[in-house]
Amino acid sequence: MSKRRGDKPPDFQPGTWLQGNGPESDIAICTRVRLARNLQGYPFAPCLADAESRQLYEFVVARLRQGGLPEPLSIVDLEPIDELERTVLVERHLISRELAASKRPSGVAVDTEESVAIMINEEDHLRLQVFAPGLQPEAAWRRAERLDDALIQRLPMAWSEEFGFLTSCPTNTGTGLRLSVMLHLPGLVWSEEIDKATNTAQKIHLAVRGLYGEGSRALGDFYQVSNQVTLGRDEMQIQNDVLLAVGRITQWEREVRGALLRGSARVRTLDRVHRALGTLERAQILTSEEALGCLSAIRFGLATELLDGFELAAVNRALLLSQPGHLQRHTRELLKPEERDQRRAQVLRDVLGCTP
Amino acid sequence: MPCSPKAVRRARPLAKLAASMQYCTACQKAIATIVIMDLSEGAVTGSQHICQACAEQLGIGTPKPPKFSPEMLEDLLGGLKTSRARAPRTEACPGCGLAPADFRTKGRLGCPRCYETFRTELMPLLQRIHESQAHTGRLPGVMSTAPAAPDERTLTDVRKRLEDAVRGERYEEAARLRDELRRLERGQTT
Repeated sequence: MSKRRGDKPPDFQPGTWLQGNGPESDIAICTRVRLARNLQGYPFAPCLADAESRQLYEFVVARLRQGGLPEPLSIVDLEPIDELERTVLVERHLISRELAASKRPSGVAVDTEESVAIMINEEDHLRLQVFAPGLQPEAAWRRAERLDDALIQRLPMAWSEEFGFLTSCPTNTGTGLRLSVMLHLPGLVWSEEIDKATNTAQKIHLAVRGLYGEGSRALGDFYQVSNQVTLGRDEMQIQNDVLLAVGRITQWEREVRGALLRGSARVRTLDRVHRALGTLERAQILTSEEALGCLSAIRFGLATELLDGFELAAVNRALLLSQPGHLQRHTRELLKPEERDQRRAQVLRDVLGCTP
Repeated sequence: MPCSPKAVRRARPLAKLAASMQYCTACQKAIATIVIMDLSEGAVTGSQHICQACAEQLGIGTPKPPKFSPEMLEDLLGGLKTSRARAPRTEACPGCGLAPADFRTKGRLGCPRCYETFRTELMPLLQRIHESQAHTGRLPGVMSTAPAAPDERTLTDVRKRLEDAVRGERYEEAARLRDELRRLERGQTT
Protein backbone atom coordinates (compact mmCIF):
# COMPACT_ATOMS: atom_id res chain seq x y z
CA MET A 1 0.00 0.00 0.00
CA SER A 2 1.35 3.40 -0.94
CA LYS A 3 2.03 5.93 1.77
CA ARG A 4 -0.52 8.68 2.25
CA ARG A 5 0.21 11.89 0.49
CA GLY A 6 -1.94 14.98 0.52
CA ASP A 7 -5.01 15.79 2.49
CA LYS A 8 -7.62 13.44 3.80
CA PRO A 9 -10.70 13.38 1.55
CA PRO A 10 -13.99 14.66 2.99
CA ASP A 11 -15.49 12.29 5.53
CA PHE A 12 -18.65 11.34 3.68
CA GLN A 13 -21.94 10.70 5.40
CA PRO A 14 -23.30 7.22 4.78
CA GLY A 15 -24.75 6.98 1.27
CA THR A 16 -28.48 7.21 0.79
CA TRP A 17 -28.53 3.72 -0.69
CA LEU A 18 -27.82 2.45 2.83
CA GLN A 19 -31.02 3.85 4.27
CA GLY A 20 -33.06 0.78 3.41
CA ASN A 21 -36.22 2.84 3.00
CA GLY A 22 -36.99 3.00 -0.72
CA PRO A 23 -39.77 1.18 -2.55
CA GLU A 24 -39.42 -2.63 -2.44
CA SER A 25 -36.53 -2.23 -0.02
CA ASP A 26 -37.13 -5.71 1.43
CA ILE A 27 -35.60 -7.00 -1.81
CA ALA A 28 -34.24 -4.04 -3.78
CA ILE A 29 -31.29 -2.44 -1.99
CA CYS A 30 -30.69 0.37 -4.43
CA THR A 31 -31.03 1.57 -8.00
CA ARG A 32 -28.14 3.07 -9.92
CA VAL A 33 -28.15 5.03 -13.16
CA ARG A 34 -24.84 5.43 -14.94
CA LEU A 35 -24.21 7.59 -18.00
CA ALA A 36 -20.99 7.38 -20.03
CA ARG A 37 -19.99 10.66 -21.68
CA ASN A 38 -16.93 11.90 -23.56
CA LEU A 39 -15.69 15.29 -24.69
CA GLN A 40 -15.17 16.35 -28.28
CA GLY A 41 -11.65 17.16 -29.35
CA TYR A 42 -9.86 14.68 -27.10
CA PRO A 43 -9.01 11.00 -27.56
CA PHE A 44 -10.89 8.73 -25.15
CA ALA A 45 -9.28 8.50 -21.71
CA PRO A 46 -7.23 5.29 -22.23
CA CYS A 47 -5.59 6.85 -25.31
CA LEU A 48 -4.82 10.25 -23.76
CA ALA A 49 -1.21 11.33 -23.43
CA ASP A 50 -0.26 12.46 -19.90
CA ALA A 51 -0.38 16.18 -20.71
CA GLU A 52 -3.75 15.87 -22.47
CA SER A 53 -5.11 13.84 -19.61
CA ARG A 54 -4.12 16.54 -17.13
CA GLN A 55 -5.52 19.27 -19.40
CA LEU A 56 -8.85 17.46 -19.77
CA TYR A 57 -9.12 16.83 -16.02
CA GLU A 58 -8.49 20.48 -15.22
CA PHE A 59 -10.90 21.66 -17.92
CA VAL A 60 -13.71 19.44 -16.58
CA VAL A 61 -13.05 20.41 -12.96
CA ALA A 62 -13.08 24.13 -13.86
CA ARG A 63 -16.40 23.75 -15.65
CA LEU A 64 -17.92 21.79 -12.76
CA ARG A 65 -16.79 24.49 -10.34
CA GLN A 66 -18.53 27.21 -12.33
CA GLY A 67 -21.61 26.58 -10.22
CA GLY A 68 -25.22 26.47 -11.27
CA LEU A 69 -25.34 22.66 -11.35
CA PRO A 70 -28.68 21.19 -10.22
CA GLU A 71 -26.90 20.01 -7.07
CA PRO A 72 -23.74 21.13 -5.31
CA LEU A 73 -20.86 18.73 -5.75
CA SER A 74 -17.46 18.46 -4.03
CA ILE A 75 -14.55 17.40 -6.17
CA VAL A 76 -12.18 14.80 -4.78
CA ASP A 77 -8.85 14.72 -6.61
CA LEU A 78 -7.72 11.09 -6.60
CA GLU A 79 -4.07 11.80 -7.30
CA PRO A 80 -3.04 12.48 -3.67
CA ILE A 81 -5.30 9.73 -2.35
CA ASP A 82 -3.68 6.47 -1.32
CA GLU A 83 -4.77 2.95 -2.12
CA LEU A 84 -6.70 2.43 1.13
CA GLU A 85 -8.82 5.55 0.68
CA ARG A 86 -9.43 4.62 -2.94
CA THR A 87 -10.64 1.19 -1.77
CA VAL A 88 -13.04 2.92 0.62
CA LEU A 89 -14.43 4.97 -2.29
CA VAL A 90 -14.84 1.77 -4.34
CA GLU A 91 -16.68 0.06 -1.48
CA ARG A 92 -18.99 3.07 -1.26
CA HIS A 93 -19.65 2.69 -5.03
CA LEU A 94 -18.39 6.23 -5.67
CA ILE A 95 -15.59 5.16 -7.99
CA SER A 96 -14.97 2.01 -10.01
CA ARG A 97 -12.15 -0.46 -9.40
CA GLU A 98 -10.70 0.64 -12.75
CA LEU A 99 -10.56 4.29 -11.67
CA ALA A 100 -9.06 3.31 -8.30
CA ALA A 101 -6.25 1.51 -10.15
CA SER A 102 -5.76 4.31 -12.69
CA LYS A 103 -2.56 6.36 -12.82
CA ARG A 104 -4.17 9.10 -14.92
CA PRO A 105 -5.08 12.47 -13.36
CA SER A 106 -8.58 11.63 -12.20
CA GLY A 107 -11.19 12.51 -9.67
CA VAL A 108 -14.77 12.23 -8.59
CA ALA A 109 -17.40 14.88 -7.95
CA VAL A 110 -19.82 13.82 -5.20
CA ASP A 111 -22.74 15.29 -3.32
CA THR A 112 -22.92 15.25 0.46
CA GLU A 113 -25.41 12.36 0.48
CA GLU A 114 -23.24 10.22 -1.80
CA SER A 115 -26.17 9.81 -4.13
CA VAL A 116 -24.41 11.46 -7.06
CA ALA A 117 -20.89 10.75 -8.25
CA ILE A 118 -19.26 11.93 -11.47
CA MET A 119 -16.06 10.06 -12.21
CA ILE A 120 -13.58 12.06 -14.28
CA ASN A 121 -11.08 10.33 -16.60
CA GLU A 122 -12.34 6.81 -16.13
CA GLU A 123 -12.63 4.64 -19.26
CA ASP A 124 -14.85 7.46 -20.51
CA HIS A 125 -14.05 11.10 -19.74
CA LEU A 126 -17.14 11.33 -17.55
CA ARG A 127 -19.15 8.66 -15.86
CA LEU A 128 -22.14 10.12 -14.11
CA GLN A 129 -23.79 7.96 -11.47
CA VAL A 130 -26.96 8.54 -9.48
CA PHE A 131 -28.08 6.26 -6.65
CA ALA A 132 -31.51 5.94 -5.09
CA PRO A 133 -32.52 3.61 -2.25
CA GLY A 134 -34.81 0.70 -3.16
CA LEU A 135 -36.33 0.31 -6.60
CA GLN A 136 -36.57 3.81 -8.08
CA PRO A 137 -35.38 3.75 -11.69
CA GLU A 138 -37.51 6.67 -12.77
CA ALA A 139 -36.50 8.97 -9.93
CA ALA A 140 -32.83 8.08 -10.40
CA TRP A 141 -33.13 8.60 -14.15
CA ARG A 142 -34.79 12.02 -13.83
CA ARG A 143 -32.05 13.19 -11.51
CA ALA A 144 -29.35 11.86 -13.82
CA GLU A 145 -31.06 13.48 -16.80
CA ARG A 146 -31.09 16.91 -15.13
CA LEU A 147 -27.42 16.60 -14.27
CA ASP A 148 -26.61 15.37 -17.76
CA ASP A 149 -28.41 18.38 -19.26
CA ALA A 150 -26.31 20.66 -17.05
CA LEU A 151 -23.09 18.90 -18.07
CA ILE A 152 -24.02 19.09 -21.76
CA GLN A 153 -24.50 22.84 -21.39
CA ARG A 154 -21.05 23.21 -19.85
CA LEU A 155 -19.00 20.69 -21.79
CA PRO A 156 -18.80 19.88 -25.52
CA MET A 157 -19.90 16.23 -25.60
CA ALA A 158 -18.94 13.77 -28.33
CA TRP A 159 -22.01 12.43 -30.10
CA SER A 160 -23.44 11.69 -33.50
CA GLU A 161 -26.94 11.47 -34.85
CA GLU A 162 -26.31 7.91 -35.95
CA PHE A 163 -24.49 6.44 -32.94
CA GLY A 164 -25.72 8.68 -30.12
CA PHE A 165 -23.17 9.33 -27.37
CA LEU A 166 -19.75 8.11 -28.46
CA THR A 167 -17.95 5.98 -25.90
CA SER A 168 -14.61 4.28 -25.60
CA CYS A 169 -16.15 0.80 -25.54
CA PRO A 170 -18.81 -0.10 -28.11
CA THR A 171 -20.80 -1.84 -25.36
CA ASN A 172 -21.79 1.63 -24.04
CA THR A 173 -22.38 3.42 -27.35
CA GLY A 174 -25.75 5.12 -27.86
CA THR A 175 -27.48 6.14 -24.67
CA GLY A 176 -24.38 5.37 -22.57
CA LEU A 177 -26.94 4.33 -19.97
CA ARG A 178 -26.45 1.45 -17.60
CA LEU A 179 -29.38 1.04 -15.24
CA SER A 180 -28.68 -1.39 -12.39
CA VAL A 181 -30.79 -2.60 -9.52
CA MET A 182 -29.07 -4.31 -6.58
CA LEU A 183 -31.25 -7.12 -5.31
CA HIS A 184 -31.14 -9.30 -2.22
CA LEU A 185 -32.38 -12.74 -3.25
CA PRO A 186 -31.85 -15.21 -0.37
CA GLY A 187 -35.17 -16.98 -1.04
CA LEU A 188 -34.20 -17.83 -4.62
CA VAL A 189 -30.70 -18.89 -3.59
CA TRP A 190 -31.77 -21.02 -0.64
CA SER A 191 -34.46 -22.76 -2.67
CA GLU A 192 -32.03 -23.23 -5.58
CA GLU A 193 -34.27 -21.33 -8.00
CA ILE A 194 -31.74 -18.58 -8.63
CA ASP A 195 -30.42 -19.93 -11.93
CA LYS A 196 -33.92 -20.09 -13.38
CA ALA A 197 -34.58 -16.54 -12.19
CA THR A 198 -31.38 -15.14 -13.66
CA ASN A 199 -32.10 -16.92 -16.97
CA THR A 200 -35.39 -15.00 -17.13
CA ALA A 201 -33.49 -11.73 -17.06
CA GLN A 202 -30.82 -12.92 -19.48
CA LYS A 203 -33.49 -13.85 -22.03
CA ILE A 204 -34.25 -10.16 -22.48
CA HIS A 205 -30.56 -9.28 -22.71
CA LEU A 206 -30.06 -8.15 -19.14
CA ALA A 207 -26.90 -8.94 -17.20
CA VAL A 208 -27.14 -10.55 -13.77
CA ARG A 209 -24.03 -10.69 -11.64
CA GLY A 210 -23.06 -10.89 -8.01
CA LEU A 211 -22.78 -7.65 -6.12
CA TYR A 212 -19.96 -8.95 -3.94
CA GLY A 213 -17.27 -11.44 -4.82
CA GLU A 214 -15.36 -11.99 -8.02
CA GLY A 215 -16.62 -13.71 -11.15
CA SER A 216 -20.01 -15.32 -11.36
CA ARG A 217 -20.17 -16.34 -7.71
CA ALA A 218 -22.51 -14.09 -5.74
CA LEU A 219 -21.60 -13.80 -2.06
CA GLY A 220 -24.32 -13.10 0.48
CA ASP A 221 -27.14 -13.63 -2.05
CA PHE A 222 -26.73 -10.07 -3.43
CA TYR A 223 -27.20 -9.62 -7.15
CA GLN A 224 -27.12 -6.79 -9.64
CA VAL A 225 -29.48 -6.73 -12.64
CA SER A 226 -28.61 -4.30 -15.42
CA ASN A 227 -29.26 -3.62 -19.09
CA GLN A 228 -26.64 -4.68 -21.60
CA VAL A 229 -28.06 -3.00 -24.69
CA THR A 230 -27.37 0.73 -24.95
CA LEU A 231 -27.85 1.24 -28.69
CA GLY A 232 -31.19 1.09 -30.50
CA ARG A 233 -33.30 1.27 -27.34
CA ASP A 234 -34.08 4.61 -25.77
CA GLU A 235 -33.85 5.48 -22.09
CA MET A 236 -37.51 4.73 -21.39
CA GLN A 237 -37.33 1.36 -23.13
CA ILE A 238 -34.23 0.47 -21.14
CA GLN A 239 -36.03 1.38 -17.91
CA ASN A 240 -38.99 -0.75 -18.93
CA ASP A 241 -36.73 -3.71 -19.77
CA VAL A 242 -35.02 -3.55 -16.39
CA LEU A 243 -38.29 -2.98 -14.51
CA LEU A 244 -39.90 -5.92 -16.27
CA ALA A 245 -37.13 -8.31 -15.26
CA VAL A 246 -36.77 -6.91 -11.75
CA GLY A 247 -40.55 -7.09 -11.28
CA ARG A 248 -40.59 -10.77 -12.23
CA ILE A 249 -37.59 -11.59 -10.06
CA THR A 250 -38.93 -9.75 -6.99
CA GLN A 251 -42.33 -11.41 -7.36
CA TRP A 252 -40.63 -14.80 -7.64
CA GLU A 253 -38.47 -14.02 -4.60
CA ARG A 254 -41.59 -13.11 -2.57
CA GLU A 255 -43.34 -16.33 -3.56
CA VAL A 256 -40.31 -18.40 -2.60
CA ARG A 257 -39.94 -16.49 0.69
CA GLY A 258 -43.58 -17.33 1.42
CA ALA A 259 -42.89 -21.01 0.78
CA LEU A 260 -39.81 -20.92 3.05
CA LEU A 261 -41.99 -19.65 5.90
CA ARG A 262 -44.70 -22.31 5.57
CA GLY A 263 -45.02 -25.90 6.79
CA SER A 264 -41.93 -27.93 7.51
CA ALA A 265 -39.70 -25.45 5.69
CA ARG A 266 -40.37 -22.80 8.34
CA VAL A 267 -38.33 -24.41 11.09
CA ARG A 268 -35.35 -24.88 8.79
CA THR A 269 -35.57 -21.23 7.75
CA LEU A 270 -35.83 -20.11 11.38
CA ASP A 271 -32.85 -22.28 12.24
CA ARG A 272 -30.81 -20.74 9.44
CA VAL A 273 -31.63 -17.17 10.47
CA HIS A 274 -30.96 -17.76 14.18
CA ARG A 275 -27.71 -19.63 13.50
CA ALA A 276 -26.56 -16.57 11.55
CA LEU A 277 -27.53 -14.32 14.45
CA GLY A 278 -25.70 -16.61 16.88
CA THR A 279 -22.59 -16.49 14.71
CA LEU A 280 -22.64 -12.69 14.49
CA GLU A 281 -23.13 -12.43 18.26
CA ARG A 282 -20.44 -14.90 19.27
CA ALA A 283 -17.90 -15.43 16.49
CA GLN A 284 -14.43 -14.00 17.10
CA ILE A 285 -13.17 -14.58 13.57
CA LEU A 286 -15.35 -13.88 10.55
CA THR A 287 -14.24 -14.13 6.94
CA SER A 288 -15.81 -11.81 4.41
CA GLU A 289 -17.71 -14.72 2.87
CA GLU A 290 -19.13 -15.93 6.19
CA ALA A 291 -20.04 -12.40 7.26
CA LEU A 292 -21.93 -11.75 4.03
CA GLY A 293 -23.78 -15.07 4.43
CA CYS A 294 -24.79 -14.18 8.02
CA LEU A 295 -25.82 -10.62 7.11
CA SER A 296 -27.90 -11.98 4.25
CA ALA A 297 -29.74 -14.31 6.65
CA ILE A 298 -30.31 -11.47 9.15
CA ARG A 299 -31.60 -9.21 6.38
CA PHE A 300 -33.95 -11.98 5.29
CA GLY A 301 -35.10 -12.47 8.90
CA LEU A 302 -35.90 -8.76 9.26
CA ALA A 303 -37.69 -8.51 5.90
CA THR A 304 -39.87 -11.53 6.69
CA GLU A 305 -40.40 -10.48 10.33
CA LEU A 306 -38.76 -13.60 11.70
CA LEU A 307 -36.42 -11.27 13.60
CA ASP A 308 -36.82 -7.88 15.11
CA GLY A 309 -34.66 -5.52 17.09
CA PHE A 310 -32.52 -4.44 14.13
CA GLU A 311 -33.01 -1.79 11.48
CA LEU A 312 -32.57 -2.71 7.85
CA ALA A 313 -30.32 0.35 7.61
CA ALA A 314 -28.02 -1.14 10.29
CA VAL A 315 -27.63 -4.35 8.28
CA ASN A 316 -26.91 -2.34 5.14
CA ARG A 317 -24.32 -0.34 7.08
CA ALA A 318 -22.78 -3.55 8.38
CA LEU A 319 -22.46 -4.79 4.79
CA LEU A 320 -20.38 -1.73 3.99
CA LEU A 321 -18.31 -1.49 7.14
CA SER A 322 -17.28 -5.16 7.07
CA GLN A 323 -15.43 -4.70 3.78
CA PRO A 324 -11.61 -4.56 3.84
CA GLY A 325 -11.13 -0.86 3.08
CA HIS A 326 -13.56 0.25 5.76
CA LEU A 327 -12.20 -2.24 8.29
CA GLN A 328 -8.72 -0.77 7.98
CA ARG A 329 -9.76 2.81 7.52
CA HIS A 330 -10.02 4.16 11.05
CA THR A 331 -6.74 2.91 12.45
CA ARG A 332 -4.98 3.18 9.10
CA GLU A 333 -3.18 -0.07 9.73
CA LEU A 334 -2.55 -2.57 7.00
CA LEU A 335 -4.00 -5.73 8.55
CA LYS A 336 -3.20 -9.32 7.69
CA PRO A 337 -6.23 -11.32 6.50
CA GLU A 338 -6.64 -13.10 9.87
CA GLU A 339 -6.44 -9.77 11.71
CA ARG A 340 -9.07 -8.37 9.36
CA ASP A 341 -11.33 -11.33 10.13
CA GLN A 342 -10.99 -10.64 13.87
CA ARG A 343 -11.74 -6.97 13.42
CA ARG A 344 -14.69 -7.79 11.16
CA ALA A 345 -16.28 -9.90 13.91
CA GLN A 346 -15.87 -7.01 16.37
CA VAL A 347 -17.14 -4.32 13.96
CA LEU A 348 -20.24 -6.33 13.07
CA ARG A 349 -21.11 -6.78 16.76
CA ASP A 350 -20.72 -3.03 17.29
CA VAL A 351 -22.69 -1.96 14.22
CA LEU A 352 -25.55 -4.34 14.87
CA GLY A 353 -25.41 -3.77 18.63
CA CYS A 354 -25.74 -7.50 19.16
CA THR A 355 -23.05 -8.09 21.79
CA PRO A 356 -24.45 -10.93 23.93
CA MET B 1 3.17 -57.36 -53.15
CA PRO B 2 3.94 -58.21 -49.54
CA CYS B 3 1.10 -57.26 -47.29
CA SER B 4 0.55 -58.55 -43.80
CA PRO B 5 -3.08 -58.75 -42.64
CA LYS B 6 -2.48 -56.00 -40.09
CA ALA B 7 -0.69 -53.72 -42.50
CA VAL B 8 -2.22 -50.52 -43.75
CA ARG B 9 -1.12 -49.44 -47.18
CA ARG B 10 -0.60 -45.77 -47.91
CA ALA B 11 0.45 -44.26 -51.22
CA ARG B 12 2.02 -40.85 -51.46
CA PRO B 13 3.80 -38.78 -54.11
CA LEU B 14 7.53 -39.08 -54.05
CA ALA B 15 8.22 -35.40 -53.82
CA LYS B 16 10.77 -35.57 -51.04
CA LEU B 17 12.28 -38.83 -52.17
CA ALA B 18 12.78 -37.77 -55.80
CA ALA B 19 16.41 -37.09 -55.12
CA SER B 20 17.06 -40.79 -54.60
CA MET B 21 15.85 -41.49 -58.22
CA GLN B 22 14.91 -45.13 -57.71
CA TYR B 23 13.62 -47.29 -60.54
CA CYS B 24 10.16 -48.77 -60.39
CA THR B 25 10.31 -52.10 -58.57
CA ALA B 26 7.46 -53.46 -60.79
CA CYS B 27 8.63 -52.64 -64.35
CA GLN B 28 12.29 -51.84 -63.56
CA LYS B 29 12.22 -49.27 -66.42
CA ALA B 30 10.64 -46.05 -65.34
CA ILE B 31 11.68 -43.82 -62.48
CA ALA B 32 9.56 -44.53 -59.44
CA THR B 33 7.37 -41.59 -58.47
CA ILE B 34 5.23 -43.27 -55.87
CA VAL B 35 6.32 -44.99 -52.73
CA ILE B 36 4.06 -47.54 -51.08
CA MET B 37 4.83 -47.92 -47.42
CA ASP B 38 3.66 -50.81 -45.31
CA LEU B 39 2.56 -49.59 -41.94
CA SER B 40 1.83 -51.86 -39.07
CA GLU B 41 0.79 -50.40 -35.75
CA GLY B 42 2.27 -47.08 -36.61
CA ALA B 43 5.66 -48.41 -37.68
CA VAL B 44 6.97 -48.65 -41.24
CA THR B 45 7.51 -52.35 -41.94
CA GLY B 46 8.46 -52.13 -45.61
CA SER B 47 8.26 -50.03 -48.78
CA GLN B 48 8.02 -50.29 -52.55
CA HIS B 49 8.85 -47.67 -55.16
CA ILE B 50 6.77 -47.74 -58.33
CA CYS B 51 6.14 -45.58 -61.38
CA GLN B 52 2.88 -43.79 -62.24
CA ALA B 53 1.93 -46.28 -65.05
CA CYS B 54 2.41 -49.34 -62.83
CA ALA B 55 0.56 -47.62 -60.01
CA GLU B 56 -2.45 -47.06 -62.28
CA GLN B 57 -2.33 -50.67 -63.43
CA LEU B 58 -2.35 -51.71 -59.82
CA GLY B 59 -5.32 -49.43 -59.18
CA ILE B 60 -3.41 -47.14 -56.83
CA GLY B 61 -2.78 -43.99 -58.92
CA THR B 62 -2.96 -40.42 -57.71
CA PRO B 63 -5.59 -39.85 -55.03
CA LYS B 64 -8.70 -38.20 -56.45
CA PRO B 65 -9.54 -34.75 -55.16
CA PRO B 66 -12.21 -34.88 -52.45
CA LYS B 67 -15.78 -34.17 -53.47
CA PHE B 68 -17.16 -31.03 -51.87
CA SER B 69 -20.56 -31.28 -50.32
CA PRO B 70 -22.74 -28.13 -50.65
CA GLU B 71 -22.15 -27.55 -46.92
CA MET B 72 -18.39 -27.72 -47.32
CA LEU B 73 -18.53 -25.26 -50.22
CA GLU B 74 -20.75 -22.92 -48.26
CA ASP B 75 -18.38 -23.06 -45.30
CA LEU B 76 -15.43 -22.38 -47.53
CA LEU B 77 -17.11 -19.50 -49.37
CA GLY B 78 -18.49 -18.15 -46.14
CA GLY B 79 -14.97 -18.17 -44.73
CA LEU B 80 -13.66 -16.36 -47.77
CA LYS B 81 -16.44 -13.78 -47.61
CA THR B 82 -15.82 -13.21 -43.93
CA SER B 83 -12.10 -12.91 -44.38
CA ARG B 84 -12.64 -10.44 -47.22
CA ALA B 85 -15.07 -8.38 -45.13
CA ARG B 86 -12.57 -8.34 -42.31
CA ALA B 87 -9.67 -7.60 -44.55
CA PRO B 88 -7.18 -5.81 -42.37
CA ARG B 89 -7.12 -2.06 -42.81
CA THR B 90 -3.77 -0.48 -43.13
CA GLU B 91 -4.58 3.09 -42.03
CA ALA B 92 -4.56 4.18 -38.41
CA CYS B 93 -7.25 6.56 -37.17
CA PRO B 94 -6.33 10.14 -38.17
CA GLY B 95 -7.88 11.40 -34.92
CA CYS B 96 -5.86 9.43 -32.41
CA GLY B 97 -3.51 7.17 -34.33
CA LEU B 98 -5.17 3.95 -33.13
CA ALA B 99 -3.94 1.09 -35.30
CA PRO B 100 -6.54 -1.22 -36.83
CA ALA B 101 -4.89 -4.20 -35.12
CA ASP B 102 -5.28 -2.51 -31.71
CA PHE B 103 -8.96 -1.89 -32.33
CA ARG B 104 -9.46 -5.51 -33.33
CA THR B 105 -7.59 -6.98 -30.36
CA LYS B 106 -8.86 -4.63 -27.64
CA GLY B 107 -12.32 -3.90 -29.04
CA ARG B 108 -12.00 -0.31 -27.78
CA LEU B 109 -12.18 2.86 -29.82
CA GLY B 110 -9.52 5.52 -29.38
CA CYS B 111 -11.47 8.71 -30.09
CA PRO B 112 -14.79 9.90 -31.54
CA ARG B 113 -13.32 9.81 -35.08
CA CYS B 114 -12.62 6.08 -34.74
CA TYR B 115 -16.36 5.53 -35.21
CA GLU B 116 -15.94 6.56 -38.87
CA THR B 117 -12.41 5.21 -39.36
CA PHE B 118 -13.33 1.70 -38.25
CA ARG B 119 -16.93 1.84 -39.44
CA THR B 120 -16.67 -1.36 -41.50
CA GLU B 121 -15.46 -3.40 -38.55
CA LEU B 122 -17.61 -1.55 -36.02
CA MET B 123 -21.05 -2.04 -37.59
CA PRO B 124 -21.16 -5.87 -37.28
CA LEU B 125 -19.71 -5.54 -33.78
CA LEU B 126 -22.50 -3.15 -32.73
CA GLN B 127 -25.05 -5.47 -34.32
CA ARG B 128 -23.70 -8.41 -32.30
CA ILE B 129 -23.63 -6.48 -29.01
CA HIS B 130 -26.86 -4.49 -29.28
CA GLU B 131 -28.76 -6.14 -32.14
CA SER B 132 -28.88 -2.63 -33.56
CA GLN B 133 -26.63 -0.22 -35.44
CA ALA B 134 -28.36 3.10 -34.82
CA HIS B 135 -29.12 5.24 -31.78
CA THR B 136 -32.57 5.93 -30.40
CA GLY B 137 -32.93 8.27 -27.44
CA ARG B 138 -31.53 11.45 -26.01
CA LEU B 139 -29.05 13.60 -27.84
CA PRO B 140 -27.61 17.00 -26.97
CA GLY B 141 -30.12 19.52 -28.31
CA VAL B 142 -33.04 17.16 -27.70
CA MET B 143 -32.87 17.33 -23.94
CA SER B 144 -35.56 17.11 -21.34
CA THR B 145 -35.20 20.71 -20.25
CA ALA B 146 -35.10 22.11 -23.77
CA PRO B 147 -38.32 22.21 -25.84
CA ALA B 148 -38.28 19.37 -28.34
CA ALA B 149 -37.00 20.90 -31.56
CA PRO B 150 -38.52 19.66 -34.81
CA ASP B 151 -35.17 18.56 -36.12
CA GLU B 152 -34.30 16.17 -38.89
CA ARG B 153 -34.40 13.32 -36.43
CA THR B 154 -38.06 13.96 -35.53
CA LEU B 155 -38.93 14.37 -39.21
CA THR B 156 -37.31 11.05 -40.03
CA ASP B 157 -39.15 9.40 -37.18
CA VAL B 158 -42.55 10.77 -38.25
CA ARG B 159 -41.90 9.85 -41.89
CA LYS B 160 -41.10 6.30 -40.82
CA ARG B 161 -44.22 6.06 -38.66
CA LEU B 162 -46.31 7.43 -41.56
CA GLU B 163 -44.91 4.79 -43.92
CA ASP B 164 -45.64 2.09 -41.35
CA ALA B 165 -49.20 3.34 -40.91
CA VAL B 166 -49.82 3.38 -44.67
CA ARG B 167 -48.30 -0.06 -45.06
CA GLY B 168 -50.48 -1.33 -42.22
CA GLU B 169 -53.55 0.36 -43.79
CA ARG B 170 -54.12 2.42 -40.62
CA TYR B 171 -55.43 5.39 -42.56
CA GLU B 172 -56.68 7.52 -39.67
CA GLU B 173 -53.27 7.34 -38.00
CA ALA B 174 -51.60 8.00 -41.37
CA ALA B 175 -53.68 11.15 -41.92
CA ARG B 176 -52.77 12.42 -38.46
CA LEU B 177 -49.07 11.71 -39.06
CA ARG B 178 -49.23 13.37 -42.49
CA ASP B 179 -50.59 16.54 -40.86
CA GLU B 180 -47.93 16.34 -38.15
CA LEU B 181 -45.24 15.95 -40.79
CA ARG B 182 -46.51 19.02 -42.67
CA ARG B 183 -46.48 21.07 -39.50
CA LEU B 184 -42.95 19.91 -38.68
CA GLU B 185 -41.74 20.67 -42.18
CA ARG B 186 -43.13 24.18 -41.84
CA GLY B 187 -41.18 24.48 -38.58
CA GLN B 188 -44.16 24.47 -36.23
CA THR B 189 -44.22 22.38 -33.10
CA THR B 190 -47.23 20.23 -32.31
